[in-house]
Amino acid sequence: MSIINSKPQLYTRQGLWSLFLMCVFPLHFWTLILVFRDLSWLIDRSNLWDAITVASYGMIFAFAESLLVFLIAMLLGFLVPKYWDQKHRIALLSSLILVTALWAMTSQLFVLLNITLPAWFINFFVQQSHPLRALYEVGLVLVTPTVLIPTYMILKSDKVLQVVLDFMDRITLLSVFYLLFDVIGLIIVVIRNV
Amino acid sequence: MKNQLNRRDFIKLAGLMPLSILAPRAGQMLGSPPLSGQNKNVLVVVFDAFSARHVSMYGYQRDTMPNLARLAERAVVYHNHYAGGSFTTPGTASLLTGTLPWTHRAFEPKARVAARYVTRNFFSAFQDYYRIAYTHNGWANILLEQFHAQMNELVPWDTLLLRPYFGFVLDLFKKDIDNALVAWTRNVDIKHYGYSYSLFFSQFYEVLRDQQYTRLEKQFPRGIPSTGFADNDFLLETATDWIGKKLPHLPQPFFGYFHFLPPHGPYNTPLEFIGKFGSDGLKPIDKPFDIFTEGKTYGQLLEKRNEYDEFLLYVDREFGRLFDYLETSGLLENSWVVFTSDHGEMFERGIDGHSTDALYQPLIRVPLLIFEPGRKTGMDIYAPTSAVDVLPTLSHVTGHNIPDWTEGVLLPPYAPTDPDPNRRIYMVKANQNDGSAALTRASTAIIKGHYKLLYYFGYADRGMDELIKLFDIDADPEELVDLYPTQKDIADELLKELKTKLDEVNKPYL
Repeated sequence: MSIINSKPQLYTRQGLWSLFLMCVFPLHFWTLILVFRDLSWLIDRSNLWDAITVASYGMIFAFAESLLVFLIAMLLGFLVPKYWDQKHRIALLSSLILVTALWAMTSQLFVLLNITLPAWFINFFVQQSHPLRALYEVGLVLVTPTVLIPTYMILKSDKVLQVVLDFMDRITLLSVFYLLFDVIGLIIVVIRNV
Repeated sequence: MKNQLNRRDFIKLAGLMPLSILAPRAGQMLGSPPLSGQNKNVLVVVFDAFSARHVSMYGYQRDTMPNLARLAERAVVYHNHYAGGSFTTPGTASLLTGTLPWTHRAFEPKARVAARYVTRNFFSAFQDYYRIAYTHNGWANILLEQFHAQMNELVPWDTLLLRPYFGFVLDLFKKDIDNALVAWTRNVDIKHYGYSYSLFFSQFYEVLRDQQYTRLEKQFPRGIPSTGFADNDFLLETATDWIGKKLPHLPQPFFGYFHFLPPHGPYNTPLEFIGKFGSDGLKPIDKPFDIFTEGKTYGQLLEKRNEYDEFLLYVDREFGRLFDYLETSGLLENSWVVFTSDHGEMFERGIDGHSTDALYQPLIRVPLLIFEPGRKTGMDIYAPTSAVDVLPTLSHVTGHNIPDWTEGVLLPPYAPTDPDPNRRIYMVKANQNDGSAALTRASTAIIKGHYKLLYYFGYADRGMDELIKLFDIDADPEELVDLYPTQKDIADELLKELKTKLDEVNKPYL
């Protein structure tokens, strides 16, 4: 018996599809940015056709990762109280995915943009008796509000909920476009492997 | 004809091993002739990106290869040996086919040789031998796969890799491994680059990988030796042990081609060799930037050089161990062992590594040592020799006909005559030239006597249609004084010869 049938109050097909597309968006967006960044050295390394192939693999890996994130997010949805309707549930999970993705992007941007943390900030940790523990604590202090505030706003404000749902609508279109890239990537990978 | 053993056949054959040990004696007892003196095993050991300019016995200031120097006292040592190309694909193809890149046509990275050389190579020349090959290097493996039908056993590339998590990539994308691994690396290897295509999985992957690698990372503080791809890590000692133990059990005579990645970058040497050269005060000559410069500073190049030289110590230790295996098993008495490389490496003129289009000596001069069965004394050969000479020479000394398609000559002292003092040695790099098209953009070199002429053409993007340099490599081994402006007559003569050769090799593709 499928989850969808047994728990109609949790997810509909449309809801799951929206959630999946929200997983697709940040992962593909990031992959594409880095693929374009890599393109010139990939061409230098061998040729344009190989560079396109590497990009194709990248899209397929991004698709696989999207599926995994989607499954995890869907399962997390079971932890959400049942009296929340689907709109709230999907909006909440989507915002969590986006916030987590933004934090993951931020951590990589430090390296990509050669950003170094200010000396006073680093010194603060160095001076602690347990620098790593302090780092995690500061990280928690920074991350927690970015998770809790959207959650609270989505639950309490219909206006915020509507903004999130509208945003999701727009992103959905872009995500479908990314999925088209995945299909093209898959065709290229199949051609290279037959 | 494909003649590959499957596992079941091998087990059956292994069951016959005791018989194969007894057979020669039984044969002698029955009056059949003993094995011919020429019918010996052949073992070609290639260490990738190994420049002769960094080997102590070739005059380098650092004692990078103490074991090799000790063993060289029993070998024929070639002091002016040249690779056919300056990176894996053309260099390896030249060694394996006995032809130059403009003949075998494997110009580009990951290229394959022209179809006619699929049956013209070491493995086809030794059809009566058991033929086995292995390489860590993915690009060299592309060539070995092309010659697979001529072998009895091509050891799968991933056999000697640590491969903790990427097995599925190799299994799923067998026919496009190189691209799949580049993509996989860019997806998951956040530790090395600091960023990755994957936002989440790369973080999780690092945790898994770190747990598995903690012990090894202590042993290899610069990183575990790797082909440069994520999860393509390996230990050279594992390869040494595997081959050392496998060879005595192969059907004899065998022809073995084993192509190891070190000292190719990344130069991840074990802890015991780190710092061996870093503070010895070596000050290489600060050479002027070349047209192909990558803009690396003197300090950056020195740091890379130190790492490379320390990595050579690892190569040396493992070659010593392989040699011990051969000696202990008795194979050395019955085998020709060749030690060489596919191309060199350079750390000068603002360039490090071998991705450059330049063709300076550190990139093309590689070691060549031949350990002859039973030889107890060393011999030094100073005549210029080429990678394409190895195939005809080994064919000759093992009693095979010298293939008429090889472009090499018999190496001294195995040739019946003295080396030709006017012999021309060629090198070619044309990594952006389609193998089926005439050469329009290439780096080429001709060595004749003590002169070396470099001829670069087609580099319009670097603001030149052609560039010519002439060096006296005996008087000026560091290639500091370009004689082209002052010795135009010699340069013109060499250039004419080189251009005549280029016209000849281009003709079928015009």
